[in-house]
Amino acid sequence: MFGRKPSAAPGPRPRLRIGIPRTLNIWSTHQFWIGLFEALGIEARSIVFSSDTSEEQGREFGRGRGTVDCCYPVKCMSGHYGELIFGQKRRIDVLFSPMIYSLPSMLHGHVADSLACPRVMAAPENIRAGFTREKDVFAEQGIRYLAPLVSLGDPRLVAKQLHPALAEMLPGLPMKEVQRAVDAGYQALSAFNDRLRGRSREILAWCAREGRPCILVLARPYHMDPGIGHEIETDLQAHGYPILWSQYLPTDGDLMDWLFGEQVRAGEIRSPFDIADVWPTSYSANTNEILWGAKFAARTPWITCVIRLTSYECGMDQPTYTPVQQTVERSGTLYFSFQDLDSTKPAGSVKIRVETIAYYLERMSADIIGRKQARMPPGCPLLG
Amino acid sequence: MNQTSPYRTYRPAPFTPEERGQVEILFGGLHWRAERLIKAVFENLGHRARILPTATREDLLAGRELADVGQCCPTSFTTGNLANFLRAEASRIGAEETARRYVYVTAGSCGACRFGQYHQSYELALRNVGLEAFRLFLVAQDRMDQGALAGGGLKVDMPLTLGILWAILCADALQSLEYQVRPYEVVPGETDRVVAACVDHLEQAFRNRPQRDGKWGSLAWHLGTGYFVEALREVYRRFEAIEVDRLRVRPVVKITGEFYLQTVEGEPNHNMHRWLEAEGAEVYPAAIAVWLDYWMRFYVQGFEDEVGVDRTARAKIAAVRALQRVFGWTYDRLRAALGGIPHALPDQYELRRLAAPYYHHRLSGGEGDMLVGKALWAHLNRRAHMICELSPYACMPNTMSIGAMAGVLGKHPDLLYAPLEIKGDAEVHALSRCQMILTEAKKRAQREYEEALERTGLTTERARALLEAHPEMRRATYRVPHAGAAGTAANLVLHLAARGRA
Repeated sequence: MFGRKPSAAPGPRPRLRIGIPRTLNIWSTHQFWIGLFEALGIEARSIVFSSDTSEEQGREFGRGRGTVDCCYPVKCMSGHYGELIFGQKRRIDVLFSPMIYSLPSMLHGHVADSLACPRVMAAPENIRAGFTREKDVFAEQGIRYLAPLVSLGDPRLVAKQLHPALAEMLPGLPMKEVQRAVDAGYQALSAFNDRLRGRSREILAWCAREGRPCILVLARPYHMDPGIGHEIETDLQAHGYPILWSQYLPTDGDLMDWLFGEQVRAGEIRSPFDIADVWPTSYSANTNEILWGAKFAARTPWITCVIRLTSYECGMDQPTYTPVQQTVERSGTLYFSFQDLDSTKPAGSVKIRVETIAYYLERMSADIIGRKQARMPPGCPLLG
Repeated sequence: MNQTSPYRTYRPAPFTPEERGQVEILFGGLHWRAERLIKAVFENLGHRARILPTATREDLLAGRELADVGQCCPTSFTTGNLANFLRAEASRIGAEETARRYVYVTAGSCGACRFGQYHQSYELALRNVGLEAFRLFLVAQDRMDQGALAGGGLKVDMPLTLGILWAILCADALQSLEYQVRPYEVVPGETDRVVAACVDHLEQAFRNRPQRDGKWGSLAWHLGTGYFVEALREVYRRFEAIEVDRLRVRPVVKITGEFYLQTVEGEPNHNMHRWLEAEGAEVYPAAIAVWLDYWMRFYVQGFEDEVGVDRTARAKIAAVRALQRVFGWTYDRLRAALGGIPHALPDQYELRRLAAPYYHHRLSGGEGDMLVGKALWAHLNRRAHMICELSPYACMPNTMSIGAMAGVLGKHPDLLYAPLEIKGDAEVHALSRCQMILTEAKKRAQREYEEALERTGLTTERARALLEAHPEMRRATYRVPHAGAAGTAANLVLHLAARGRA
C-alpha cells in the first residue's frame, strides 16, 4: 500500500533521508507525501516509513516515551518515532510527522467539515514531548524534527502551511516549487484513490454478476495497520469473502444515482454524499466516511455484512456506535463490531467470532442479497 | 436479520411562538451564578426558563447506562443529568406532558471534538427513557444572530446573545471577586451570604434589562450603557461590608482544564473549588470569558492561514481583533465597577506565544493550546503557585495537551502542575493526587511570604499594625496590587511596605 513508483524529479537536492511514522492519517495520505517529496527531488528510496505497528516495536523503541494514556493508535506512535530514530541502518536526516488538521474526503463540500480527530491531529506534539522532556533526542541524534500543521482538506492553504518546514529542510526552496510539489502530491493521492475505488467497483461488479456476498469494513484508515486492526478482515477474507474498505468505495455517478438517487429526488438529502439524514454534526472526515459507508452498505445488496473496527477509548467512534449499527442493521445487513481494540490481538476470541461471522454469512447471504435487491430500483450499473 | 424502516437521525418537533407561555427552556452546565443570570435573560425576553440541577454522581451513572459505552466524563454527567430530570418529571406528570412542557437548549459543535456530538448521547438517552418526543435544540456557539430555532419559539438573536454574553461577563467578574475574598473573610460564611444577595440583585437587573429594537440598536446599547456597571457597583457596595484578613498565607491555585469541568461547581469535578478552599487555598477560577476570547482568537488564526490566499483575510483578522478589543474593554469596564479586583483576561496572543514551543495554536478541540499557555502564563507571571488541571476521563483534546505538558515540565520543572483525571467516581484518588501538589504549593506560598517580610524588613506583627492603621485595607473591596508575588499575603506585605515608603 505504501508503494511508490519513480517520477520525473527536478534538479539535484541534498541527499536527505526522510523518516515518516506510518501511523494515523498517514494511512490515507501517504501517496500525497510520496508525491510531494518526489516532486521536490527527494528520491523515493530516501523516504522511509516506519514499520507496521507491533508490540515489539513499542517495547523496543517506545518504552518510557509515553506521556499520557490515550487510544492505542496515538500511543503506539512513540514506537514509530523511536524506530525511525534508533532503528535505521542508515540514519534519517529528518523525522517528518505532519499534524494533519483536515483531510481530503470524497464527502468534502457535502458535509460540515473534514477535520481530523483532535487527538490524531495533536499526536505529534504529544509524542514529541516524550522525546524532548529530559533531553532533546532529535538534536542529540542529529535529526531535524519537522511537524508542520497542514489542512489537507483545504488545498488552497497547503503550500503556504508546508513552506516553512520544507524550506528548513531544503534551504532556499521557493514557494512556487512547494506549490508545484503540493499539486503533484494531490495528483498522486487522487490517482491512488481512484485506482482503489476502481478495484472496489470491480469487486462489487463481480459479486453482482456472480450473486456473491462481500464484506465492508467500517473503520478509520489506520485500522489497515496490522498492529492496530489486528488483520481481522484478513481472517475473514480467508473464508472466501472479498473485503472492501469504506475509504475506497466507488463513487461513480451512475452507481451513486442508483444507490441514492431516490432519496435525493425525494429531497431527503441534497446529494448522494450528504449524510445529514443520519449524522447532522458532520465535522470529522473519518467519522463522516464511516457513516457514509454505513449508508452505502445498507443499500448495496452484495454487501451482506459490515465489520466495524474501533480502538479502545476512541472518542470519535463512541457517539457513532448506535447510528452506524442502526443504519446497517435496519437494512437487514449483518453487523458485527470489534470494539476496544488495543495493542494485543485477542486471537482466541477473534477466531471464534470470525467463525461465527463466516457461519452467518454462509447461511444468510443469499437471502440478504435477494431482499436488498428487491428494494432497489432496476438498472443496477454493477450489472451493466 | 429483518429489515425495518431506515435509521434517521433525531429531528425535534417545532417549538412555536404560541407555546412560549407554557414551555420552559431547560439549560445548564455552567456555574450557578452564570446560570441564574442567563435564566433572567430568557425571562427578560418573555421566555420561561429553568436551570437543570447541577449534575450528580447518580446522573453520571445514568448517563453511562443510557448512552453508548465509552463516553467522556462530561458527556456522561450532562446526559444523565438531562435524562434524570426528565425521567423524574415524566413520572410526576407523564411522558407526553413532559415533552410538551419542556425543551432543552444547548451549545452545538466547536469542530471535530466529541463536544459537538453530545447531542447524539442526549438523543440516545431520550430514546432509551421513552422520551423520543422531547425537543432538544442545538445552538451554534459562534454566531451572534442565528434567527429562530425550528418552529420560531426561540429566537437566537442579538438581544438574547448579548444578554447571555453580558450575563456571563458579570457572573465571571463576581465569581473572581468572590474567590479572592472568601479565603480571607473574618466572619465565616459572610462572603457566601453577600454573594447570594448580589446574584439576586444582578438577576433582577438582567430580568429588567431595557429592550432595544434591532440588531445594531441592541449592540449599541449594550456597549454604551452604564446599566450593568451600575448593577455591579451595587455588588461592590455590598462586598465593602466584608472584613478580610489578607495576611493569611494561602497558596493560589489556578483551575484549568476542560471547559465543563473547570466551570461547573459540584460533583462533576468533586467540588474541587470548595475542596481547595477548605484545604487552605485561594482558588483562581477559570472565567468563561477567557474561553470566549480564545474562540475569537481561533477565528483570527484561521484567517491568518488565509493571508496570501484570500484577499479579504487581513480585513477579517482586523475585524475579529477589533471585536476582541471591544470584548476586553467591556470586561475591564465591568471589572472596574468591582474595584478592578476581578482577575483580568490574559492576553490570548501571549498565551499562544507561551504555548507555541509545545503545542501548535491551530490544533483544535476543547481549549486547544490554552491549557499549556495558561499554565505557563500563571507560572511565569507569578499569578498562581500551582495549576490544577481538571481533565475528564477520555477527553480527546485535553489528554493531548496534558501529554504536551510533559515537555513543558521538562523545561520548567519548578511548575507545580496537578493534572487530575476526573472520572466522577474516583474522588479519593483525584483529591489525594491534588493534595500532594497542594502541600508543596503551601510551602511555596509560605516561603514567598517570608521572603517578602525579609525583603521589606517587616514582621507579621508590624504588618498587622500597619493594617490596623488603614482600616480600608481590611475591606474586601480593597485592591491589593500585584507586586510580583503569586500569593495575596506576600503581595500585601510588599504593598504595605511600598505604602510605608511613600
